Amino acid sequence: MKSTFRELRESCNFLLPLIIFILVFIILPVLGTVVTSMFQDVTFLEREFLFLENYRRIFSDPAFGQSFRFTFLFVAVSVPLEICLGLMFALLLNEQLPFRGALRAFVLIPWAIPAAISGRIWELIYNYHYGLANFLFVKLGISAEPINWLGSGLGAFFSLVVSDVWKTSPFVAIILLAGLQAIPRELYEQGQVDGANLLQRFYRITLPLLKPVLVVALLFRTIDALRIFDLIYVLTHGGPGGATNSLSLYAYRYYLGGDFGYGSAVSTILFIVAFSLSVLYVKLSRFSSVVK
Amino acid sequence: MTERKTRIVLILLGSIFMATFCLTPFAYMFITSFSESSDFLSSQDFHFSLDNYRSVLTVRSLHFLDYLRNSLIVSGISAFLCVLIAGLAAYAITRLALPGKVFIMFFVLAVSMFPQVSMVGYLFKFMAGIGWTDTYRSLIFPYIAWILPLSLWILVSYFAQIPRDLDKAALIDGATHLQILRKIILPIALPGFLSCFLLAFIFAFNEFIFALVLTTTHHARTIPVGIALFQGLHGETPWGNIMAAATITTIPVVILTVIFQRHIIQGLTRGAVKS
Repeated sequence: MKSTFRELRESCNFLLPLIIFILVFIILPVLGTVVTSMFQDVTFLEREFLFLENYRRIFSDPAFGQSFRFTFLFVAVSVPLEICLGLMFALLLNEQLPFRGALRAFVLIPWAIPAAISGRIWELIYNYHYGLANFLFVKLGISAEPINWLGSGLGAFFSLVVSDVWKTSPFVAIILLAGLQAIPRELYEQGQVDGANLLQRFYRITLPLLKPVLVVALLFRTIDALRIFDLIYVLTHGGPGGATNSLSLYAYRYYLGGDFGYGSAVSTILFIVAFSLSVLYVKLSRFSSVVK
Repeated sequence: MTERKTRIVLILLGSIFMATFCLTPFAYMFITSFSESSDFLSSQDFHFSLDNYRSVLTVRSLHFLDYLRNSLIVSGISAFLCVLIAGLAAYAITRLALPGKVFIMFFVLAVSMFPQVSMVGYLFKFMAGIGWTDTYRSLIFPYIAWILPLSLWILVSYFAQIPRDLDKAALIDGATHLQILRKIILPIALPGFLSCFLLAFIFAFNEFIFALVLTTTHHARTIPVGIALFQGLHGETPWGNIMAAATITTIPVVILTVIFQRHIIQGLTRGAVKS
């Protein structure tokens, strides 16, 4: 009895640093943001309790509506593309390829470098006058004239989607690859004996067995894409005319302008959306077996 | 045999597409960094030059080397402390009697998905309040907290695989838990610690929004923010310089990724989907 008590105290000591760090630098800031969102908190102005006034302002602001729509559209377009491309990469990497090690490393590279740096590379690629995208499009005859990638709403949207898909499909591929490797080879051999062709084996064996991992990757990417910031900050600055102003960037703009109350309220809304999704994620990922 | 052929053709085409898709932007970055002018595609006029590297490495007002040093220090310290703290916690979770283990893992997983923008405004005021703005500390502390969930998940999955007979025997011999962690778990789970350190380092190195808000000058600003805000001496966008800086920054990351790809992949998959 006494020894279990000692062990309990000891495990608390082992956990304490982790708990303190997470409480002070994550939970406290998030709670602080929620509290601030109910105040007028503007540089050089008196702090004043407003309750939900900031939220009322947000929902009557057309710029918020635009930002909200952009963010969800961005998620809705880029995440499915990332999953498809990631699945394709994972299927390839799961084969007995001659240069499998090198290919795996190549796929990891876009994921491993800072988004801010890849954002700058893509900014040059999309350059109207001498960027690679227009060079290829005109050379290959896809477009007669150079395209103003970052200068039009639609162009900026798809430029961001392509850059984000490039950056994050590798992550999806690695997660799905782990799922693929867990599928027993005998199932495929059995399928072949039963006369199922390549496509049938994919639909009947691979997809159903990969489904749990696919769901995890989908939710993970959705939550991550919702909070997109760095790529947009570098590539379009939210422009043109606020067409690509993600919710994170929208909130950041208000912080930058000194309006912490309003910025916090926007952040709180984003937090609530992301948190609800992560609760779903946690419920879906059957992980308790690791802990036991 | 036609199915076999289709399969080979598909795999071949797919692999070529995959490699081209992933590597083209890097090749473009690399070539531009060695070009005298960055409009070589439209002018059809490529001249090899090292000027971009020379100016990035020698013009002090660009602060490239400051940013790089800041990034290496901040990411190195954050990753190291993160592995240490997560190692202790993972030991408690896998080895000690503790109610609510499942809750802690749930909680930490949910925390890792919080949007950073919902912390950064408060953190900015907090850091300004205690006078830490624009210091390494102002980044290291939030980074550790932010990367701990992932590190904990990776290490727990490694620790859980180590048979308990070893530490039970050591306990009977009178070893403390800290000794068991250091002498038994650490050597066996070394690959796990390595994956964890590498991933923590990459996450800290790539972090953007905290660094953007919590630092103001070259004293603490990290390389992603430095490159994002890179301005020429005369206000134009110095593409050549940016690409040279990007190349110097990414080449070590790329080499690390190639060497340790197995460890990184293992860490990622354990952190994200372990069941």
